[in-house]
Amino acid sequence: MATLLDASADALTLLFSGDQALWEIVGISFEVSALALLIATPPALLLAFVLAYGQFPGRRLTIALFSTLLSVPTVVIGLTLYLLLSRQGPLGEWRLLFTQTAMVMGQVVLAFPMLVSIGHSALQAADRRAWETARTLGASHLRALLTITYEVRFGLLAAVLASFGRIISEVGASMMLGGNILHHTRNIPTAIALETSKGEFAQGIALGMVLLVLAFTLNALLHHFQGKGHIGS
Amino acid sequence: MNELHFRHIHQHFQQRHILDGLELSLCQTHCTLLTGDNGAGKTTLLRILAGFDKPEQFQVDTGFGLLNWKQYRKTLQPSVLYLHQQPYMFEGSVRDNLDYALPRQLDKAVRQARIQQALQWAVLERIADTPAKTLSGGEYQRVALARAWLRQPRILLLDEPTANMDKDARLRTIQLLRQLRDDGMALLVASHDPDYFSSLVNEHLHLQAGKLQAVTARARFANITPLHHFAS
Repeated sequence: MATLLDASADALTLLFSGDQALWEIVGISFEVSALALLIATPPALLLAFVLAYGQFPGRRLTIALFSTLLSVPTVVIGLTLYLLLSRQGPLGEWRLLFTQTAMVMGQVVLAFPMLVSIGHSALQAADRRAWETARTLGASHLRALLTITYEVRFGLLAAVLASFGRIISEVGASMMLGGNILHHTRNIPTAIALETSKGEFAQGIALGMVLLVLAFTLNALLHHFQGKGHIGS
Repeated sequence: MNELHFRHIHQHFQQRHILDGLELSLCQTHCTLLTGDNGAGKTTLLRILAGFDKPEQFQVDTGFGLLNWKQYRKTLQPSVLYLHQQPYMFEGSVRDNLDYALPRQLDKAVRQARIQQALQWAVLERIADTPAKTLSGGEYQRVALARAWLRQPRILLLDEPTANMDKDARLRTIQLLRQLRDDGMALLVASHDPDYFSSLVNEHLHLQAGKLQAVTARARFANITPLHHFAS
């Protein structure tokens, strides 16, 4: 118990003393995950929209496929991309293994099914009259799509935040594709795993605190906006 | 377009023919009332004409040529406006909802002037800045009609526009519909209550067994059950 308290006190000192190594790791985490989310969100939400409003063969199969992909372990995605990007793999010539780009690729693959699945649920729950009213009032397909997106923005925001939470805290794919290289590909989860295995708990706890504060802030923001959007508030 | 003749409209649902080679003409400055039992296919027909649902067979004579469903949707859908039984309001104020019906290319001053005219036309000035989703049923319908007034379609399709309204709201709605008709729109109104629209309609059609039958004043009186039936 005393060790845990000592380590937590050290963690707080590290956080508030502006420890450069620690904040660099936090920075890499945010950079990689934000970029992955930025890349994955537009096509994933577009696909979610097509699945919710389109009529084509294989639509239900596609929805089931993305729901299944939600439960694929991150290490399996890491392993698959590792095999593709390794020197002997089909994409080996790109020399991307153990770079931030490879980590971004892994996180895009992780975030995509979650964005599609939750986004699809949000769009499916939207009132169909919204789309029909937009179209009958002369809106183009693109404008009608943007209108619906705005109408269900809280559901879509929840999809984006849940995906961000998933990718910023995953360790499997980042470890395999990034290699946990200090100053380059060491992010919060891989650093926590490393520091814990070395018995250096202070930095691990400090980084864990950053993740917790982040999770709390994102959820508080979501609830704040949802509260404002509520008809009775 | 002065007149459109729709022909051979077929639609079935679970082996039941909802629309069975239906024919219908719509004229500008003309209001057609569509009646029929629940499930007779009134909404199905309106949704096909609105371009939302694809029929199995469809043909329309524009006076310049025959169009199939795809061609109709492409060429004439921009001239058709469909009002749901409970119109949908977008997030934002009544003013924002009216703005949605205006073409994007209009400049800001013109937009504001047009919206102001629409607010006056539908007597909505008092609630112009109220969130549209909080309005009453009658106000919903008036905002929807004001959007139609701004959009100026050639065909206006209305599904039960006076359902669940009190007398005042109903009379206001019918008054606005009369103005839209006199402005040059072709109105097709589906309703269970033909009496409410008697002062407005030029033609009354009854949908039964997938086909339309004209209802004349004489036929309507013939169907009225004499009071002494109930007295005896």
